[in-house]
Amino acid sequence: MRLKYLVAGAAAAALTVSLAACGGGSNGSNGSTGGNGGGGGNATSTGGSSNDKPGGTLKLEGSVFPDSLDPDFGYTTQAQEADTMVYIPLLTYAEQQGTAGTQLIPGAAESLPQVSSDGLTYTLTLRKGLKFSDGSPVVASDFTLAVERSVRLPWGGASFLTGYIKGAADYADKKASSISGITTDNSTGKITIQLTQKYGAFPNVLAFVQTAPIPANTPFKVLSNTPPLGDGPYKFGKIVANQSYVLQKNPNYVQIPGISAGYVDEIDMTVQSNPDTEAQDVINNTADVFDPADTITGSALATVQQDTSRYAKIPSATTYYFFMDVTQKPFNNQDVREAVNMALDRPALSKLSGGSLTPGAFFLPPTIAGHTDGGYPWQSNVNASPSAATIAKAKNMVKAAGLANYPVTVWSQTKQPRQNYDTEYTRVLNEIGLKATLKVVADATYFQQIGNANNHAQTGFADWSQDFPNPSDFYLLLDARSIQPVNNENFGNVNDAHIQQQLKALEPIPATQLSSAAPKWQALDKYVAQKAYVAVFGYETLPKFFSDRVDFNKAIVNPVDYLLFNTVELTQ
Amino acid sequence: MSEAVVAPAEQVPAGANRSVGPGRLALRRLRKNKIGIFFGILFLIIVILCLLAPVYASHVAHQGPLDGTITGTVYGKDIVNQYSTGIGPTWHSRYLLGADSLGRDVAVRLLYGGRNSLEIGALATIITIVGATILGVCAGFFRGWVDTIISRILDIIWAYPALLLAIALGVSLAVTGVNIGPWHIAGTSNLVPSAIIGVVYIPYVARPIRGEVLTLREREYVDAARILGYNRFSIIVREILPNLFSTLLVFVALQLAQSIILEASLSFLGAGVQPPNPSWGTMLADGSSQIEVAPHLVLVPGIMLVVAVVSVNVFGDALRQAFDPRARIRVER
Repeated sequence: MRLKYLVAGAAAAALTVSLAACGGGSNGSNGSTGGNGGGGGNATSTGGSSNDKPGGTLKLEGSVFPDSLDPDFGYTTQAQEADTMVYIPLLTYAEQQGTAGTQLIPGAAESLPQVSSDGLTYTLTLRKGLKFSDGSPVVASDFTLAVERSVRLPWGGASFLTGYIKGAADYADKKASSISGITTDNSTGKITIQLTQKYGAFPNVLAFVQTAPIPANTPFKVLSNTPPLGDGPYKFGKIVANQSYVLQKNPNYVQIPGISAGYVDEIDMTVQSNPDTEAQDVINNTADVFDPADTITGSALATVQQDTSRYAKIPSATTYYFFMDVTQKPFNNQDVREAVNMALDRPALSKLSGGSLTPGAFFLPPTIAGHTDGGYPWQSNVNASPSAATIAKAKNMVKAAGLANYPVTVWSQTKQPRQNYDTEYTRVLNEIGLKATLKVVADATYFQQIGNANNHAQTGFADWSQDFPNPSDFYLLLDARSIQPVNNENFGNVNDAHIQQQLKALEPIPATQLSSAAPKWQALDKYVAQKAYVAVFGYETLPKFFSDRVDFNKAIVNPVDYLLFNTVELTQ
Repeated sequence: MSEAVVAPAEQVPAGANRSVGPGRLALRRLRKNKIGIFFGILFLIIVILCLLAPVYASHVAHQGPLDGTITGTVYGKDIVNQYSTGIGPTWHSRYLLGADSLGRDVAVRLLYGGRNSLEIGALATIITIVGATILGVCAGFFRGWVDTIISRILDIIWAYPALLLAIALGVSLAVTGVNIGPWHIAGTSNLVPSAIIGVVYIPYVARPIRGEVLTLREREYVDAARILGYNRFSIIVREILPNLFSTLLVFVALQLAQSIILEASLSFLGAGVQPPNPSWGTMLADGSSQIEVAPHLVLVPGIMLVVAVVSVNVFGDALRQAFDPRARIRVER
């Protein structure tokens, strides 16, 4: 999932979060958070503390509106946070923080899938009695429709479906009128999915909201302002494009074990384009939630950090990087890409984040199998600024490549500190002899614009937070199969035969055996670093920051689904 | 004034008092306005300082307007602290007025930003004055259907608040740039905000010019030129425009102030000068999010903007008083 933000879950996340959120007390948020499902997803809401008052309106501010609230099209963290409340896919994640939150539990399906011995056939049964928010019943074929819409609109992660489900690619290319690999029986709720190749993380694919059932009459067009009905604990209320949306409790929500029905009656999200003002609003209790996708810097940070009862840093499997389109000059030249990676001042970029970003250079972030510490080929120490000699060497490489003063447009979001990251990046490109200028575009459409082939985006900011704890999720961004004309997530258009070969060999490995495959993923990550396909500059942590109206310890920032609004309870 | 009218004046007997031209009279009145002269000189100093920005950057600050040092130190202090806030004024050659969150020298950016702001203001003013003069003179002189068409077009532009219209144009053109036939102007070019500001203000100047031309075209010397057989183009160039000069001169000064303010507004809103290029407006925008911890980021460009605009305005008013004594009388009464 687009990374923007997020939370993620790392192995050390649970402990760190507990310590940070609770000041070292015994009321750890991991494992036994009130009102949330325990292991196995069988727990249900149990109510809050004596001070908590069910109901009320939760005011959320964020600097960026979701790219789309249509579950089959949106792919940013902001979209994920909202859609997770409205749409429950066949499988979902435990309402937990830390690594416990990456555990798959049955969602709209009665149980986890039965997988054939060859790993190519998945069988599930739809949970009985599920209803959409208008009271109409959910049927098995509604899952098929969701998959069909996701590959046709198309969703940015469509290759997770077209790459593995039999017939999905033909359907996407309009060579078929249906997806042959999916069969459903509405009378029994049975759903059978046939794959073209083994994919160890396929159960995680079934936990994407993009595969959650939607009503049969949903049209095949992007419905950002009037999203389809869902089966989750909340439903969409009024939506004002790029400004605000409202989530209201779904009166027809059928309780699913492990998925809380929610405490607050309404969630009002409003765009506050200045993250500093956003933070001040939460400090002053005029807003309840600071979007975990945003970064607190400057004047607010010093104040916020002092109040550990309202603020914590959440470890996150999130990589921040600059993409470079390898099909365009000057980045089709490996020497230029190497020069960029040599000259990038990673500690400076970390400082611009106010300390939320840890300098790094390898693509896979910490906590994801295959991450590498140290040994980066283009900088011996990513925690130190490059020396003058290194800059001079990088400049010579660009000059030797015959690309000195070659014009480069750096695409940037408006929001801070991301615009500052790009400004610093632009400075570096100019420093090594390129002729770089900054192009700042609206936050809400940024990723759609750089993912549109017609815009020919040369380079710019990008990030990625885990959709699920598997390196193959990150390699969507470097997978040639994910290149598409619109909503392209492979911004650099990387198409490398060695990467494709390795992905083919590594993807079938089940999630339970990831640790044994870590060295191979690590080798692949080192190969990507050697080729300098991207310029990674760090790994982000996320802010969990609320007003004093919110029960801080109960609210869950899940490593996959981010802030779970249905776990947020007001105390006044 | 036509040659036919001027000719008798040249026959004044030797020793008689020569009449003083309106221009010389205006200069005499202007020299007596000490406050106007002071602010005119002040504005001139600002312009000179901004023009010397490269000299200051290379020989004093040793840093360009786009260069920043985020992880370094200066005079024993971090240039950018752990909260991503730039150092305050050092009152030394380096970072005299402090640094922004990217470690860039505020004084350097102030001077380079002034160059951009003044350049855009001047270009926009030229576009406004030239465009408004052409349209206003045509509408007022030819009247009839020419006047109707031009006036309605001006009405349409005038119907939109100048700032909103400029924002709409600025946002769209900042992304796409301007394409006119084979020519392309990049969205990051100063020509884009200059053209936008220049165009949106044309109705505000063209209308009063039209009104004045409607009066001028009925004057006796214009009738005399017609009788002498001058064509309409000659009458406009030789009779109308010279008599519009003092009005245009006043408009130039006042419009320059308006253009600088609008440029700052557009840049503040992201629709003018595109980052990371500095202008006083972009500097205000950059600093606004850190106003509590780094007020110098807003105060420095804000004060400079106020001083520059007040200077031009006061000097422009002095010009108006000098060239239009009737207006002065009205004011004094």
